[in-house]
Amino acid sequence: MRITNKLLIFGFVTVALISGLAFLPVFAQNTAMTDQQVQLIRDNCVSTKNTLNQLHSSDALLRVNRGQIYESMSTKLMEKFNSRVSSNGLSNSNLVLVANNYSTALDTFRADYIIYEKQLTLSMNIDCSKQPIVFYDAVALARNERSQVHADVLKLNQLIDQYQASVSQFGQDYQTAMQGVKQ
Amino acid sequence: MEEHEHRFSLMIILSIILAFILTFVSMALYNSSGAAQLDLSRPGYKDVRSQVVNDDNFQDYSSSGSINQAAINEFVSMYHQQAVKTESVDAFGGDPLSTDALGLVPTSN
Repeated sequence: MRITNKLLIFGFVTVALISGLAFLPVFAQNTAMTDQQVQLIRDNCVSTKNTLNQLHSSDALLRVNRGQIYESMSTKLMEKFNSRVSSNGLSNSNLVLVANNYSTALDTFRADYIIYEKQLTLSMNIDCSKQPIVFYDAVALARNERSQVHADVLKLNQLIDQYQASVSQFGQDYQTAMQGVKQ
Repeated sequence: MEEHEHRFSLMIILSIILAFILTFVSMALYNSSGAAQLDLSRPGYKDVRSQVVNDDNFQDYSSSGSINQAAINEFVSMYHQQAVKTESVDAFGGDPLSTDALGLVPTSN
């Protein structure tokens, strides 16, 4: 197999291009803004970036801490109780249904947080003094993604309450059944 | 002799390409799996790293044993306690990314 100098040069150029492409950012501009607004973004660029950095860190901590708790609600309580009810030969279909919905909501929360974190990181990497409009749009998208994460949290809380109500109902049904057996 | 040098160079190029591909795949997995978002050992998280709360205090309900009124009451009590703790924080609430909070729009006064 003959390898020419041209082929070698082509190889090196290809490697250089592949490594360069990995760092190319992609942005879109679409917001119409006044010159005053654009100037304001430029003027507040440093302080805005600092705020975003702090929020990025505090939200990451919140994600880890809340994520652990939401995970534990499912694995340490719901699944355990469902399993115990099932192993005693009692009907737990409603409990399983709510627990499954909770697991799905937890998956959605995880996925939406990833989307939000990526969008926030993207915003932080934009130079707001040079690209104020692109920065503004990126922050707006991050804001929407964050509100989606908040909606996911509310959904999880709602399902936690729903499971609690289902357990109470199960308790009442159990009590009624036991009274029936005694009579 | 020249042929051998060329083959050696080709091997280096292929090794670099392979390293790039493997690095790209591993980074893609790291980011897409959500591991990156939970990895507080990354630069920039130094200040919050120590504030991670260990959930060892979270009580485990036993999945084995009989079901009776006492067992149900025990679970209801444990669950209620954790539910109150969980819902006490309005996680990701508020609007710290609003244009007002970030100073991206002129103030009205």
